[in-house]
Amino acid sequence: MNTRIRSSLIGGVFGFAIALISGGFAGILAGLVAGLINGFSVPQAEPLNNRAGAVRQGLVASLIASVLTILGIVIRSVLIDPVIGTPLNIASLLISMIGALILGIPVCVIMCVIRTEPPARERIGLAIVIGIVLVTYPWLDQFLNLRFMNEVIPVLVFILMALGLNIVVGYAGLLDLGYAAFFAIGAYAAGMVSSPHFGISLSFWLAIWVAAAVAALFGVILGSPTLPLRGDYLAIVTLGFGEIVPIAIKNLDKVTIHIWNYPLLVNFDITGGTKGINPINRPWLPVIGEFSPSAPTPWYFLILGIMLISIFFISRLRNSRLGRAWTALREDELAAGAMGINTVNVKLLAFAIGATVSGLAGAFYGSYISAIFPESFRFDVSVMLLCMVILGGLGNMSGVILGGIIIQFADRLFLPQFSTVVQKLIVASGNVSLREVNFASDFRLLLFGLTLVLMMILRPQGLVPSGRAARVMPTADAEVSHD
Amino acid sequence: MATPILALQDVHTYYGNIHALKGISLTVNAGEIVTLIGSNGAGKSTTLRTISGIISPRQGQISFNDTRIDRMPAHEIVRLGVLQSPEGRRIFPRLTVLENLEMGAFTRNDAVTMKEDLERVYTLFPRLRERINQKGGTLSGGEQQMLAIGRALMGRPTLLLLDEPSMGLAPVLVEQIFQIIQDINKQGTTILLVEQNALMALAVAHRGYVLQTGQIVLSDTAQALQTNETVQKAYLGVE
Repeated sequence: MNTRIRSSLIGGVFGFAIALISGGFAGILAGLVAGLINGFSVPQAEPLNNRAGAVRQGLVASLIASVLTILGIVIRSVLIDPVIGTPLNIASLLISMIGALILGIPVCVIMCVIRTEPPARERIGLAIVIGIVLVTYPWLDQFLNLRFMNEVIPVLVFILMALGLNIVVGYAGLLDLGYAAFFAIGAYAAGMVSSPHFGISLSFWLAIWVAAAVAALFGVILGSPTLPLRGDYLAIVTLGFGEIVPIAIKNLDKVTIHIWNYPLLVNFDITGGTKGINPINRPWLPVIGEFSPSAPTPWYFLILGIMLISIFFISRLRNSRLGRAWTALREDELAAGAMGINTVNVKLLAFAIGATVSGLAGAFYGSYISAIFPESFRFDVSVMLLCMVILGGLGNMSGVILGGIIIQFADRLFLPQFSTVVQKLIVASGNVSLREVNFASDFRLLLFGLTLVLMMILRPQGLVPSGRAARVMPTADAEVSHD
Repeated sequence: MATPILALQDVHTYYGNIHALKGISLTVNAGEIVTLIGSNGAGKSTTLRTISGIISPRQGQISFNDTRIDRMPAHEIVRLGVLQSPEGRRIFPRLTVLENLEMGAFTRNDAVTMKEDLERVYTLFPRLRERINQKGGTLSGGEQQMLAIGRALMGRPTLLLLDEPSMGLAPVLVEQIFQIIQDINKQGTTILLVEQNALMALAVAHRGYVLQTGQIVLSDTAQALQTNETVQKAYLGVE
């Protein structure tokens, strides 16, 4: 009973927070999210195949979550909205409340029923529910007038990158603090071959492969000098790479190379410097035509597709010989070598495959915003990705996705909206001195740091720990023998 | 005279500027247990590391079955059939016993022979069968040693390198481990055994080498070494 209450509280708190901060019909989405989270975190307490019990459990669990969500909706509509200048609208309040119940309770009950199925069917059931939510989301977004799509797409891009970083850090145990560099390299590689910049105007569908290949190549190039390093030393070197790449990109706009006295390149513009590369070709498909910046739905399904394919390949790799070699490498590099594992190749492959995933994300992102600038790939991107991986659980893909969803939505939706609401409240209260505080940008990094510290103290293995919790920073082993 | 499967010729190994091995020459014949004894810092483990390719010798030759291996990377030497149970055991702490053993068979990709080998390891070490789903890091010292040896056996070694199998173990366990080492040898695996516990090592070995500050100072049959006066004084504690 205790754990059941706890799980519905988790769902309820999420629902409450979303309803409170976003306002409008977001309350309905809040109900859905509360139901989903509730169903996920509900423990498998009832015996297998006891449907009636599961339904009862789902109803009890969703009751608490619904009460909290509706409380959020009411507080927002009755107390906050009038203060910040939106008049109270009883009709929309009622629609939100009923909508939250209609979506939240059945979803939670269905999830609870699925959770009592045997593992194989449980997995299929969860996949179907998640699939339905993902596929119908664009229409739900439109229908509820949420306008979250332009945030959801970058969120997916970042989750894709976190999955790539998870290969390097979670599977192979190589702490990479400069992973955003590969995102930049992928974006620039795709941008250079599919824009007027060099006059090469490949289609997006070809450019994305170029990006993947170039990123993989740079994964090997940047990975090879780090081969003898481990732990803290590796972290520092990769941190350096993460800083060098954006600076190099910024300064590669007037390249002059002389071979003896023959000028090979004079003031040649490779990367566009601070101006970046602009415009970059958008994907084109029959029926849909060229993807338009004002219609996010095709982009949404494109990145979702790239993600699904990546997840499929990564999970296959995870269970392959290479995946086992990564595990051995992470656990003990010397012993891995003693097992006949070619640690050099295995490390380089981890870097290359991780970079490939990031390169795909970069190519998509560049095409999506149609321009790239060196400033988009700063150190904080790497830190955010690492936060996502650690929050979710090193080495566990569903954990990493969950961590990504939480951190990204907090960063892109929750904080800005929270900030707007607080700002309006401050203005309404007439307190001038606090007007300049921007909660979204001022507290962002503080919150990431706080998340990392709290996770390390409370739950170092992450929200969804992998079968074997990974150690990110193995203590530098004494390498000299003691004979 | 039996044919040597492993031969070291004037091998010099350095850690940076430290001259750790100063011209080691030794041979191991097929079917033998050869032991390398010596005190702390004599270069015993360094010799094993040099053979297994973890460090390259700066000078000298190492050949295994007439193949030069002194410039080969460690993983290729493993593929030739030279497997080791490294110093300090170095089992994978967060993998289960079974996963550890499967890792040992990494170079092979054959489910049928792997099953046979698992069975063979479990017969040699019944304790491991009881602990099959336990995490390596939670095993006792003796069990970890068994796991390290078992893991090396999973690679079907022609030559098994054992580094200090008695380290940190209770005397009863040491006896047990050395009994098993002899059993493994009788099943046809050649063993090069590095030990500080010279008494036990010489009791199971056929031949032995005595190492002192990076040089071999004595080599003879194990029996002869046991009765050698210098060895008795320096390593066996006989006055």
